[in-house]
Amino acid sequence: MKQRSYRSFTARILVFTVLGLTSCRSSEELKSEQYFVTGQQLYMTHCANCHQMEGKGMSNLYPPIVGSATISDKARLARIIQHGMSDTIIVNGKKFSRPMPPNPKLTEIEIAEIVSFVTMKWGKDSVYTPIEFVHKALAVSGAD
Amino acid sequence: MKSKVKSILFHSLFVSVSLALITACGDSEKKLPILGERDWVKKTVDGKEVVDTIYNTIPKFAFVNQYGDTITEKIVENKIYVTDFFFTTCPTICPVMKKQMVKVYEAYKGNPDVMILSHSIDPEHDTPAVLNQFAKDLGVDGQQWQFLTGDKARIYEIGQKNYMSTAKEDTTVQGGYIHSGAFILVDKDKHVRGMYDGTTEEGTKKLLNDMERLLAEYKK
Repeated sequence: MKQRSYRSFTARILVFTVLGLTSCRSSEELKSEQYFVTGQQLYMTHCANCHQMEGKGMSNLYPPIVGSATISDKARLARIIQHGMSDTIIVNGKKFSRPMPPNPKLTEIEIAEIVSFVTMKWGKDSVYTPIEFVHKALAVSGAD
Repeated sequence: MKSKVKSILFHSLFVSVSLALITACGDSEKKLPILGERDWVKKTVDGKEVVDTIYNTIPKFAFVNQYGDTITEKIVENKIYVTDFFFTTCPTICPVMKKQMVKVYEAYKGNPDVMILSHSIDPEHDTPAVLNQFAKDLGVDGQQWQFLTGDKARIYEIGQKNYMSTAKEDTTVQGGYIHSGAFILVDKDKHVRGMYDGTTEEGTKKLLNDMERLLAEYKK
């Protein structure tokens, strides 16, 4: 009897802990999921024409995102999405020199969503990138 | 910008739908229709008055290709060809169109009866050298796919009047130009026989299918 109540107590604690953990994680997870889905839609509209739906780029015209070192530098990634790029870059051993046009109409949250999608899909991230991060990244003057 | 792209897409969709309807009315199983404005002339043959139809025919042209050579209508003599309008710095529908056109290129690579002509609508920027690099980066070599530049007015004129494909400058859209995403199929008599939505998989499939039908017309 005593042992039983002890057990049920432990069980209850366990349940609460698990619940607590899940609710914590789930709000974070939910946000990540939302950013991922919206980011994916934005990616299709603004990026996939050139970089393609699978992020593999197109022949030697447009560079792939999959395998690119740039996606591990998210601040730079955010700046490139907003301001475009005109440098020659080497991605996965191939040289690309066509300029990428800027996207002046994308808002900070939209950029955060695109960065979230790209880094969660093809990078190492498992959670979303917050707007504040993008805001700070874009505040840094000087283009990439 | 989004709405402009949408309107372009919608426009090409509208064109393909209306074309599909036109095709559906005719003897679509046998022959592809001849598209474009036509005219009728009366003439007298053996004392009888007959009416002759004059179809929209692609006129003579002279443009410069990605190798710096002058290209005239002679290059498509006795060939069927697919044509489109694009520019190399286009960030919207052109990459999609080129991805689809590569499928046509791959499907008929080495076939002496088939050519592709892609006209630049931004010839000031798209010099032969720029087009050459673009073709190379796209993975295209040889003569079968011609990337053409030249007098802007001439390119726009042939595009609008004969290929029925609109293109114009518009500083409010990304890239600075709006143009149709159509692929236009032309037969050996220089008649337009089909127009397809070059921004979609389905449009390109239909084009490939119609190219087979058109080539079959000459196999008799």
